[in-house]
Amino acid sequence: MADRSPSSDPGLLLLISLSGGPKHGHAMLLDVASFAGVRLGPGTLYGALSRLEQDGLVEALSLEGRRRPYRLTDAGLAALRGRLTGLNAAVSIGLARVGNR
Amino acid sequence: MNWILRLYPSAWRRRYGAELADLLEEMPATPATAADLIRGAFTLHMRAFLDRVAPRQVTAGGPPMPTHRLQRHPTTSALVAALIAAPTAVFVAVSFLAYQLELPGMQSWLQPFMDGLAQAPRIVDLYLLGAPFLAFLIAVLPLIGLRMERVNGELRVTLALRWRTLNLIVLAVCVLVGGFLVSHLIVEFLFERP
Repeated sequence: MADRSPSSDPGLLLLISLSGGPKHGHAMLLDVASFAGVRLGPGTLYGALSRLEQDGLVEALSLEGRRRPYRLTDAGLAALRGRLTGLNAAVSIGLARVGNR
Repeated sequence: MNWILRLYPSAWRRRYGAELADLLEEMPATPATAADLIRGAFTLHMRAFLDRVAPRQVTAGGPPMPTHRLQRHPTTSALVAALIAAPTAVFVAVSFLAYQLELPGMQSWLQPFMDGLAQAPRIVDLYLLGAPFLAFLIAVLPLIGLRMERVNGELRVTLALRWRTLNLIVLAVCVLVGGFLVSHLIVEFLFERP
């Protein structure tokens, strides 16, 4: 069965990472690895990041040296809240059903 | 491993290439990283293709990245269009030299080909006639940027045209060749048919 968990959704992982504050690419990789145990590849990271920026969910900040940090936009925060609320509801229902067996 | 970045769409590379290259310097060069980069490039090309209908523009932060330029390759389209239209263009040019300008020796040189063409399947005629119009479409589409967006509940459609010299040259040839063919057919139909 294909992995449909949040850990297989790089966009969601990046939104969660940026909800903790602005980060550049390498910091996002380290953060995602620490809280989700997922090692995103560089192509996956920037593919997802460009998509999020294109959708207006994250925005780039000014360069810091050679690195460009990104931060969550208001739309990104709302989208993340919606996704997590939906996941939370599904998890709660799933746990309740598993607990009843 | 930076050579893999050349596989990425050029507009995307201009926007994110330096950041990605910087990140690669901090990572070990492994086959898994290379595979991830190649997969990322492929995904971006596919995404660009699938997003063709609704181009959007990224302006936050770095330089603008007009995403619709990722989706279309005007030079490739122009070359494909030129290849498609080439047989008809050559046929029309040679016919014009032989039968309109009546260059010495051209008609006798061309006659065996014209006899063969008369015996050829109908599909050859259809191709020679339709190729300039098909090529015109292929060359012109990348020059048209159609943006459709909903603003305050209303559908807003904007049209942007781009200038690409190679495409315009191919378009001009297609118009000339197609125009010549159509006018020739009209004249033949109206005045030369028994």
